[in-house]
Amino acid sequence: MTVSRTRPPSAEPVVTAPFFQRGDVVEGNDTVHRSRDLGVAFATPRLAMDRIVHPRDEVPPLLDVPLAEIIDFLVETGARLRDPGNPFVRDCVDRMSATHVLPRQVLEAQVAGAASYLDGRLLRTVVEQNFPDPAALDGWIPKQDHTGRRSYVRAFAPRLIHVLPGNSPGVAVKSIAQGALVKGVNLFKMSSSDPFTTVAILRTMAAIDPGHPVVRSMSAVYWRGGDDTVERVLYRPQYFDKIVAWGGGDAIDNVIKYLGPGFQLVSFDPKTSISMVGREAFASDETLDLAAGLAASDVMVLNQEACVASRFVYLEADRAGADRFCARLHAHIAAKAAASGDARPLDRDLREQIDTLAMLDDEFRVWGRTDGTGLVIRSDEPVDFHPINKVVNVVRVDSLDHAVGFVNVATQTVGFYPFDRTADYRDRLASCGAQRVVRLGEAGPSTIGNPHDAMYPLHRFVHWMAHEDGTVPP
Amino acid sequence: MSSAVEKLLRLADAPDRFDHSHADLRETQLAALDERLRERRGRIALLARRAEDAGVGEIRDRADMVPLLFPHTAYKSYPESFLTEERWDRLGKWLGTVSPYPIGPVDTSDVAGIDDWIARLEAAGHYVSCSSGTTGKSALLIASERDMDWTRKDTVNVFSWGSGVRPARDRRMIGLGATAAVPKNVITAQAQEAAFGDPARERFRPPLPPITVGSLTRTVVLRKKIADGTARPEEIADFERTSQERRRAVDEAVTATAEALVRHREEKLYIAGMWNSLYQVARAVRDMGYAAADFHPDNCVYVGGGLKRAQLPDDYQEYVHRTFNIPAERDFQNYSMQELNSGMPKCRKGGRYHVPPWVVPFVLDEPGDALLPHERGEVQGRAAFFDLSLDGRWGGVITGDRISLDLDPCACGAGGPTVRDDIARYADLAGDDKIGCAGTVDAYVRGLS
Repeated sequence: MTVSRTRPPSAEPVVTAPFFQRGDVVEGNDTVHRSRDLGVAFATPRLAMDRIVHPRDEVPPLLDVPLAEIIDFLVETGARLRDPGNPFVRDCVDRMSATHVLPRQVLEAQVAGAASYLDGRLLRTVVEQNFPDPAALDGWIPKQDHTGRRSYVRAFAPRLIHVLPGNSPGVAVKSIAQGALVKGVNLFKMSSSDPFTTVAILRTMAAIDPGHPVVRSMSAVYWRGGDDTVERVLYRPQYFDKIVAWGGGDAIDNVIKYLGPGFQLVSFDPKTSISMVGREAFASDETLDLAAGLAASDVMVLNQEACVASRFVYLEADRAGADRFCARLHAHIAAKAAASGDARPLDRDLREQIDTLAMLDDEFRVWGRTDGTGLVIRSDEPVDFHPINKVVNVVRVDSLDHAVGFVNVATQTVGFYPFDRTADYRDRLASCGAQRVVRLGEAGPSTIGNPHDAMYPLHRFVHWMAHEDGTVPP
Repeated sequence: MSSAVEKLLRLADAPDRFDHSHADLRETQLAALDERLRERRGRIALLARRAEDAGVGEIRDRADMVPLLFPHTAYKSYPESFLTEERWDRLGKWLGTVSPYPIGPVDTSDVAGIDDWIARLEAAGHYVSCSSGTTGKSALLIASERDMDWTRKDTVNVFSWGSGVRPARDRRMIGLGATAAVPKNVITAQAQEAAFGDPARERFRPPLPPITVGSLTRTVVLRKKIADGTARPEEIADFERTSQERRRAVDEAVTATAEALVRHREEKLYIAGMWNSLYQVARAVRDMGYAAADFHPDNCVYVGGGLKRAQLPDDYQEYVHRTFNIPAERDFQNYSMQELNSGMPKCRKGGRYHVPPWVVPFVLDEPGDALLPHERGEVQGRAAFFDLSLDGRWGGVITGDRISLDLDPCACGAGGPTVRDDIARYADLAGDDKIGCAGTVDAYVRGLS
């Protein structure tokens, strides 16, 4: 009997992904990993765990570097990242377009956009919003309470593991900057869908000054999330204080089993964002088109890959009105989708569910086809799948008061129209679990230094240390 | 009686049905697929849509069928609120999009729950089975009277071919554990009993209430309420309490079943169950001090379903066989699934699962989009099948399984296509670790036990 094994027709290309270990670039093809949903393989060096753990008996390299100097270094990094001649960024986008779900132009724009986070004023504001007294990062702040008890408090440099998401390369820049601002020793665990950007940024930093304490405080490596042979070893309080993780489900479950005294989780939870559109949208044809256009902008943030991107639009309307809105919303989304050049087909399961709804056409109505070019579903209750890849569900409600009932602990951003009704709703939205309410069409931008995921993250990253220094006689 | 479908279905009882080679079957199967498409596209709404999207009007090549195969999740595509809010008329309308037979008006005004609704559909000739979705939606699979007739015949043929046991109505039937009381399982059990059971000896049934579709979907309903934030703490506590009582009942049933087996140890037995219950009961029998030597040397075991993620020691099969004195050549295994109508028994000599002529196997790439080139030898990929015997729904299904299909003759001598005994679920294979900030409330619902 002959046994021949046939591999899928297109032979997989293997791209290499170097590691960055506390200042050193490590190349190698020791291990081949697979990025499953993209069908690509990438090769990395062997993971040298001794090299990425900073010994406890050495204080973190950034501890005595003034915050101002760290910010200067980050700003310089930003300038280099925006430089079109930066070889590390060019190389990174080349490799990434082979493994990422987003098209090349979107990726290039993201890296450039991400670099804009490295702005001096912005970084200072972030620190000022996170810490009542940012001087606590640079030194020991003297305190005295009303009993005369005296002490010094410092926001001491933490040892952090960052489990990075793969859906937004911009998060890499932000995480590196935040890790540097708190003067931490940082290990970045990259994602299979982007094992490149973090290293490219760190290499850009090393090209400025290979011996800089920021550079020596950073490592970026890849292992498969949940790989016990790595995580059982590294996830210990002796090596790290906190694990900063994005995502939910398996990604978090894998982390949770290692939590314990001295090893804490700071989680950026998986979120769904929504929109709420009041009946004022129907005041005129112009307002209807305006509201539909704003809603489309929120749906299409990062082509709906990000958590701030809206997936459900709760619309105060009757069925006929809802249909008018949906037709316009679909036109806006389809135009944006076409302009982005993104025509990824819909996942098969999603396609099946939407096509089924289209057949139950007295209760549901669908605008567009399930081919990845943008689609709107109108219903009286939210659909029970997760709209993704330019798909939005318009849920018709008699009153936005009813829409509040659909807000839950996974709701992040709520885009609101008309803007002047927002204040009437914000307390109820917060009570149901939402974290952010914005003007419809402005899901993307946020006030610099504002809380994220219902917290001030930098404040939670640091190791708050007190030096008690006796009592002053009254 | 000239159609290609009928020609293949007529092989159901042929002793040499697994001997037809891929090359011999190719043209007839192709004609049968084309025949099925032509007669069903006007009757199954979802199929019509797929055919229109893909621009496929006829089957000239097996690859033409690929875009028309339904993913196994197609039968979960109903809006969950139809189930959780007990909107039976709506759920009926949804069933109508995947059924070739119109679902006539069923009175749903006073339906007492999903089990009642399913019973009313059954009275109207529609048999609805469901898969046990413990963490997500259950698949609702509709079938016809003809499918039930087919199952009755096929299940006996499959077991007899795979185990070498003749249907001589000479055994005491011992059922282990509780299986879901859905039409397909009920009919399978009845047919097995009628063929192999001694009418003079009463079948042993474990003292457990039947697992109905309603009890299977109860978890789903509660999960949805937790996600919505509408489940009250006492509701969750009540559910946990019921689950605990159920677990206790299952443990007690293990003891009762082990005692029954010991009681009837000198009789010729037919033992039916899932691997997990077979193993638990075997251990209880051993703990009572009995083993192979105490049992009849002509016993047999009917295994239904896979491991369903049960954690068992590596040698669980051997352990079960040795406990109940099952002859070595009686290692019955069957590859099938709720979505199909026919079984693929494992041969005793070659250790491979044999695909019958009326089931057309397809090996696809991992995403399930393209047919892998395959004319001879073995190819690994995502399994898809077209079961030509299916009448009450579309026969083409893409599974969640990774299989290795061989088109060359098996070591046992049979010439038809076979599946290697290393079937894996893609969902269980080393997963990806792509994470993102975007996600759903599912991540906020802790597991229900």
